[in-house]
Amino acid sequence: MSVLEVRDLSIRFGGLQALSDLSLDVNEYEIVGLIGPNGAGKTTAFNCITGFYTPNSGTVKYRGQDVTKAPPHVKARMGFGRTFQNVGMVKSATALENLKTAQHAKAPYDVASGLFGFGKTWQGEREMTERADAILDLLGLQHIRDQRVGGQSYGTLKLLELGCALATDPDVLLLDEPTSGMGPEESDELGERLLLLRKEFALTMLVIEHHVPLVLRVCDHVYVLNFGRLLAEGTPAEVQQHPEVVAAYLGGEAPEALAATVEPEQDLAAEAEVEPAPEPRKAPRKAAARKAAPRKKAAAEKETS
Amino acid sequence: MAVLEATQTRALPRTMLGWVPRLAVMAGLAYLLLVRMPLDEKFAPIYADAAIYAIVGLSLNIVLGYTGQLSLGHNGFFGIGAFSAAYALTVREVPFALTFVIAGACGALFALVMGVVALRITGLYLALITLVFGITLENSLFEVSWLTNSGAGQPANRPEWLYSDTRFFYFCLAFLAVAVYLDFMLLRTKSGRALLALKENERVAEAFGINVTAFKLLAFVLSGTLAGVAGALFAYRIGIVTASGLGFNLALLFVLLTVVGGLGSRVGVMLGGLLFASLDYVLHETWAHHVNDFVFRWDSAPQFAVGFLGALGLLLTIVKYPGGIGQQIRPITRWLAGGPFTLHDDRDSGPAAVEGSSVRA
Repeated sequence: MSVLEVRDLSIRFGGLQALSDLSLDVNEYEIVGLIGPNGAGKTTAFNCITGFYTPNSGTVKYRGQDVTKAPPHVKARMGFGRTFQNVGMVKSATALENLKTAQHAKAPYDVASGLFGFGKTWQGEREMTERADAILDLLGLQHIRDQRVGGQSYGTLKLLELGCALATDPDVLLLDEPTSGMGPEESDELGERLLLLRKEFALTMLVIEHHVPLVLRVCDHVYVLNFGRLLAEGTPAEVQQHPEVVAAYLGGEAPEALAATVEPEQDLAAEAEVEPAPEPRKAPRKAAARKAAPRKKAAAEKETS
Repeated sequence: MAVLEATQTRALPRTMLGWVPRLAVMAGLAYLLLVRMPLDEKFAPIYADAAIYAIVGLSLNIVLGYTGQLSLGHNGFFGIGAFSAAYALTVREVPFALTFVIAGACGALFALVMGVVALRITGLYLALITLVFGITLENSLFEVSWLTNSGAGQPANRPEWLYSDTRFFYFCLAFLAVAVYLDFMLLRTKSGRALLALKENERVAEAFGINVTAFKLLAFVLSGTLAGVAGALFAYRIGIVTASGLGFNLALLFVLLTVVGGLGSRVGVMLGGLLFASLDYVLHETWAHHVNDFVFRWDSAPQFAVGFLGALGLLLTIVKYPGGIGQQIRPITRWLAGGPFTLHDDRDSGPAAVEGSSVRA
């Protein structure tokens, strides 16, 4: 049974059709990749699925239930855990406090008894601290437990953010570029970690990712977006060979570039992120022009912070 | 900064031994405050005012410090508390204890309305709307004849056992203790974390499953309740409630004592309350006894001085010490709470933390 069923999702921002007729399925215990050039609408799709945007048309079904119009906090309670592209955490709070904030919906006491200190308040707080510590241990972040989140390195923040998403006790985890700010080795490590987490918590995941080796390693199924449209889908290997996908990333059919994508070291997807102007590129010049257009769209599109 | 860091003392280990000096200092402070304080019928009203201001400060701190919304209309909630308590006691002859519940409920109700507005409007415009709210209440509801005893003022007489001002001060202190406890619990439990999260980033708060709308309203309702109860205490403190004392000046005083006291700092806000409650008296005394007699005569000078010192304090707080008094005393309060004694402060809150305000260094 599919955990997430997205059908014909469309959303416009003014004159910009950010998503048109996007359909995708995420099945139980699957890790599904969502890839595409900058400004393709990946984060917009995430925002529609998690309730931050209300799509103009289309439906989002979670385990058979229509949740298209449910607000984000309700979806979070249902079991949608998500991370943000630019790290979504409470920056002035410590790592531990963040992990406890993320457990908000699962706190074993209600607001009123918490305010007066009745009932299971303190016991509940202890349980939440224990769970936060367990997550810190799991991610190897125990050393920043009582440090403010604001001063940490980007890679650490991304990892801790993943921890916060886990702390919400999710059923389906939506990760927006979990490896941004990480080196290749850290990224590989994260891939292993995602597989481990899936096993441990029986998670289903939808991942926006640019790091090709990671996509190849962990994803069961990949959807490719370009200009708000679904360009291709299939297993990572299939998608990688898909001529239109290669064209979308490089602009034009270049057989040698296609061969290059097969090599894990050649991170073409990440290269697509680099500013086209200064350095010499393997791709033909018109590719730069084509990529410049979506970048403008990326600026127009309100990305999450 | 380097000098500050060099003078930092080493962190005390958190053992039983470490608590001995802390408890000694705490006992000393308690002795000074409770035993050696010049508390008699003359000073008690000032202390009662200080306690009442401190409750309002804590109330405003919830909205201003925890959710970052500037309310210039807290005189409204305060006044509603005062009038409803006086009206309930004198006209409706409700039992004394119940008037506080009524005052709190009325404050909460009006704050809820304000909270609904605050859901849509934030920052400077919300400040303006709250300002108008306070002024409008002062000129409308607080002038209604059945509430104000035809404009003569609604009497609010304390029961016999509270006639003594000293006793009334302890009575106010008990309310302050409850307010401090509520504030403490708020910060230590999921509600406080939710407020901090939504102040910093609403989207993140939502992703964590926090109902942002509900918690914004909760902050206003809690704040309104505390302000309403403080208003009731104020009614009994002065004995007769009129609109004249509940104008915009009062709202300004509340914001001043909260910000100068230190946003987000419980002890700081309470000290701010004490400062502004006693400033008037202290200035009048010193002026009358020292300046007027020996230098030159200017009887209204203290009134100007209060405003001047308040403005100066606000300016200093905003530009130099965004954490107010609370920031200044944090090394001590942190040490007393069992932390290390360091002068370095890594937490900054303050006016800069209020939405839409900024200070250039």
